This record gives sequence, structure tokens and C-alpha cells, in this order.
Amino acid sequence: MSSAPNPAENRLTPADAQPLLEVRNLRVHFPTRQGLFGQQRGAIRAVDGVSFQVRPGETFGLVGESGCGKSTTARAILGLAPATGGEIWLDGQRIDGLSDRQMRPMRRVVQMVFQDPFSSLNPRMTVGRIIREPMKLFGLHRPEHRKLEVLRLMDLVGLNPRFLNRYPHEFSGGQRQRIGIARALAAEPRLIVCDEPVSALDVSIQAQVINLLMDLKDELGLAYVFIAHDLSVVRHISDRIGVMYLGRIVEQAPADALYRNPRHPYTQALLSAIPVPDPELESRRERIMLTGEIPSPETEYRGCPFASRCPVAEVRCLEVVPALEGDEHQAACLLVDEP
Amino acid sequence: MNERSGTDRPLLAVENLQVQFRTDEGIVQAVDGISFTIAAGETLGIVGESGSGKSVTNLALMGLIPQPPGKVVAGQARFQGEDLLGMSPAALAKIRGNRIAMIFQDPMTSLNPFLTVAQQMTEVTELHLGFSRRQALDHAVAMLERVGIADAGRRIFGYPHEFSGGMRQRVMIAMALSCKPDLLIADEPTTALDVTIQAQILEMMQQLQREEGTAIIMITHDLGVVAKLCHRVNVMYAGRFVEKAPVERLFAQPRHPYTLGLLESLPRLDGQGSNRLTAISGSPPDLAQLPDGCAFRPRCPYAIERCASETPTLVDQENGNRAACLIDVTTSPRVAETKRP
Repeated sequence: MSSAPNPAENRLTPADAQPLLEVRNLRVHFPTRQGLFGQQRGAIRAVDGVSFQVRPGETFGLVGESGCGKSTTARAILGLAPATGGEIWLDGQRIDGLSDRQMRPMRRVVQMVFQDPFSSLNPRMTVGRIIREPMKLFGLHRPEHRKLEVLRLMDLVGLNPRFLNRYPHEFSGGQRQRIGIARALAAEPRLIVCDEPVSALDVSIQAQVINLLMDLKDELGLAYVFIAHDLSVVRHISDRIGVMYLGRIVEQAPADALYRNPRHPYTQALLSAIPVPDPELESRRERIMLTGEIPSPETEYRGCPFASRCPVAEVRCLEVVPALEGDEHQAACLLVDEP
Repeated sequence: MNERSGTDRPLLAVENLQVQFRTDEGIVQAVDGISFTIAAGETLGIVGESGSGKSVTNLALMGLIPQPPGKVVAGQARFQGEDLLGMSPAALAKIRGNRIAMIFQDPMTSLNPFLTVAQQMTEVTELHLGFSRRQALDHAVAMLERVGIADAGRRIFGYPHEFSGGMRQRVMIAMALSCKPDLLIADEPTTALDVTIQAQILEMMQQLQREEGTAIIMITHDLGVVAKLCHRVNVMYAGRFVEKAPVERLFAQPRHPYTLGLLESLPRLDGQGSNRLTAISGSPPDLAQLPDGCAFRPRCPYAIERCASETPTLVDQENGNRAACLIDVTTSPRVAETKRP
């Protein structure tokens, strides 16, 4: 494993608030092999140089279409996908490259809520046991107090504590997502990575779970990395948002600024593609139609990753990789005017 | 988008459709007496959540309800004068894929993974339109080009798995449209797709409708898609229609508490952000355990005592909507909402 620098001399501290999570130039490349001896042929560059910070109590949204690398970024933060480059700092400690054993105490700081509340809960455990497991794992609370704590958490997430001894299949999708959230909270984390936490839920239930996540953030001072393909949901819940395309963040800004004044051509197209639930507005909207599909992350390209689909690309876009530039509102595009 | 009336000569007129399923928990009424019409060139939205019966409605019209456990127990569906529900399976098979076509959320449910796209696409037109092999192949390539598949003449000989999700959806749409159907039933056709691809597909459906006059029944839970595509909307809850209205009025002046709740619970892209959403409390209905009276009552912030005993039917509202509710949502008080439903 790589030697993680001494946390005492960490260099994370900017002037004001120390970020809870800092991802620096993260790369996750999966080698593709072929032939009898498995020679490396190329690499799927799922995440290709991603940097962002999440401050305590802040929600950072990551959006993008399938294959853009947002879920792999999430998995890398949790140590579930190997970082092949860059650094991940959590609460002042460098955590990329840690072994499972070394990562374990850090798992208390960061927990995850998954998309599919049907497959992420052990069907043979009661709800009570599912929520108690992390307490046992991290040695939280005295064993005789754990049941009380489970009941408190169930109440906190809006599950009837009477259902303590029921099994996951006895609950609806929305309730199962609440179980998943209670389990994450049981470790008393400071950061929760939510990977598409509401996309499997019915519209009326989505709102319940979004409200719950926002309430918990206020009450417990949690920070979230919130990943979703539904931009309206991400806009609603996030303080800042990063838009990913082909393994890179192409634009990063406070939520309002991103939606009011998207600067990267991809963000503009993405926002214009979403039909809004308002027929009159919808009939007046101008759409930026993207042609084609997202290239495979295995494809070699020079220059801007979006150039092949960009409606305004110029010749120089094929030669220079644009850097993410700007202060609060950053866009990785050669053609963007300074604000 | 303008309102169209489906009254003069409907292409399809469904009357009192009822579908039941036999389950471990007894007989479940999945579709409970719904009626609607659709005219040529029109797009009708059927909106609802899981368990609302919107997909079962589609399957019943197409004679695709697995039987048993399912059964169409009552109703008529007159398509160009013939009753689809009383037809022999052979007669229905002639209409299906020819005058009525379907597209589903998951293209792999209607594409055969063992056959090339060419084999599957030529089969329909050879069967229904009597094309020769050569004609069928030319036609299929033309259809693929039309739905935006580049290099269609070569790619048509590929298998479904060689196409990406968005491309497969296009292949399915090309296949569905290759006999120029009069009616296209689309069941969540873009739900599994990314938004930029969704935008392409929806745009394409609108264009095809303009050119061919195809009627579209759009079954979806996505109110953004409804706003973009539909002329009229029927909102479905627990097997019944609870509100019917032209699209603009449904969004601007909903008259059923469920419709209102759905609209209020949406986070808006153009909204203020970060305030609490107005969620509908409770869970989608369990059809095996529906309450007496109005099925939405346990979740309804307007419910009064009468709602527990009377089952409301669709009635005309003052603004022209039809809604199945005993209460006037424009004047009635709402029960205070709990912070955490």
C-alpha cells in the first residue's frame, strides 16, 4: 500500500473551513486485457482526473449520464473501487490505497446509501439487526443500549419502531430506503455518499425521502455526496454541483449558479434536454439537441472529451484538453467567456 | 400544444375495462372500470405510479394479460369499430404489430437476443404487409435511418446486444413503426434512458406523429414527459382514473388531490431549491388491501368522513376537468401536514 502521509502535517487546511472530503485529481482506470497471457490492451478510464471538496454540513451533487463515472467516483471514495491515481482525503487523512483493515475506522466517518433498496439489505436479517450491525462493527454504544438506539434511529427516519422484527421484504420501496438510511446513520458518520437514492422510488415517495435526507442533514450536521441522473432532484438538494462527462468534471458551481447560468456546452444541453412539468413553458423552450451518444470511456481521444458531440466545437477543441477554470463557478471549456 | 377532441370519430374507444388477478391474497382488481377514447394524431397520457394499473391496461388491450392468473372480466375496446377484447387470438395477432404497435421500457423484452435486427424487422413487414425479403430489408434499413441509426445498412445485421441502450430503444421504435401503425402504445419508453437520449427519442416520436398521424398512448410516471408530449392526460390511481383533463389545464388547475399532490411533490429545475417538498404521505396503494370508499383517502390531506364510505366517480368540474373526488380542492381546507410523513 502507499504510505499515507502523517495526518498531523496535513496540507488540507484552507483559510476557513477544512474540507471533510477532498478528492484530488482522482483516476480510476480499469485495464482491459486480451490474449492468452492477458496483455494489457488499453484502459477504461472510468474516472479521469476528478477533483472536488466537500465541507462539513455541505451537499455536493454529482450529475451526469450513464457511464460518466459518477458512481465509480462514489465507490472510490468508499474504497470499493481502486484509485489508480490521485488522492482522496477524508477528515484530514489520506484514504486512497488503504487496506480494508486500515479503512475500517474511516468507514465510520463515511457511509453509503445505495440506489436499490431491494438488493442492498440482507433479506435474512430483521430490520433491527440490519440497523444494529454497524454499531457492533464499530463498537458503538454498550450492547444493552443498542436496541434503544435502533428504535431511536427508526423513529428518526420515519419507520414505525413496532416493525423492529420484520424483514426487508415486508416493506415498500420507500420504507426500505429509510432502512438503508437508518443503517448508514447507525455508524454515526459525518458524510454519507448517496448513489441514486431515490431513482427507484415512485414520484410521491421520492419527495418523502428527499425531505428526510434534508432534515437529517440539518439535524445532524451531515454532509452528502449526492449522485443522481435526475437533475431536478440534485438541484433541489445540493449546495454545489459537479457535472461529469466521460470521467471528468466539466463544470462545477453553486447549485443556483449552475442552473441559472450554465457555462459549459454540455451542461447547457443537459439542462435543456430535461422536459419540465409545465406544458406552457415546455412548448416555448428551445432545446439544444445533442447528436450521437457518449463515446465509450475506452476510446482514445485528444483534446476536449465532449468535442465529438459539442454543437459549438472548434478545431482547437480537438487539440487542447481544457482545464477546469474559475473560482466559485468553474467550467472546463476553451470557448467559455470569463464571467 | 393544442387541445384536440377525441369525440368526433375515436380511433380507439375503451369502455368500462376491468382486469382482475388471482393472487395469494385473493382476487385483486388491477383495473377497475376505466373508459377512454383516443383520436388519430392525438397523444393521450396515462399517468400513475407503481400498482396504478397503467401497464395492465396496455397489456389488456393487446391481449397480453397472462391468463391465469389474470383475466379481463368486463369491458369493450373498439378499435376502428372492432372490439379488441372480444376478438380471437388469431385476429388480434393480425392487428398487433401492424395497426397497433407497442414499445416498452426495456427494449430487450421485445427484441429477441438470438436473432439479428434484420431478421426481426423483416419478419413483421413480410407477415403483415406481404413484402418480399428484399423489400422488407430495404424498408427496415430506411426505418433505422429514420430513427437516427448511423450506418444502418451494416448495423442491421447485428444482434440486439451489440447496440447500446438508446440505440436498442430506437431499433424497437423503428420496428414498432415499420408497419405504419395507426396507434402506438408506449409504456415508459424513455424511463431507462439518459436525458439527452430521451430528448432525441421524444422529438422523434413527435415528428413521426406529425408526419404519419399516428395516435400515441403514452404510459408514464414522468410528468415532464407528459408536459412535453401529451394533448390530454388521464391520471390513474389504484386501478381507476381519478382525473382527466387537457394537458395545460391538468398542470395549471388540477382538481383531484392526488394530481395536486403529484405536482407539488416534484422538485423543479426552475424552482427556488432547497425548501422542503410537499410530499404525499404514505405508500402507493396495495391493491389487495384497498380501503373502503376512496382508495386515495388514507393519503389524502383533504379527506373527510364521507370519503370512507362513498367511492367517488368521475364528474365534471367547474373548469371542465373531470375528477373523481367528493371535495372541491379549490375551497376545502387541508389537514395540517406532519413534518415527517
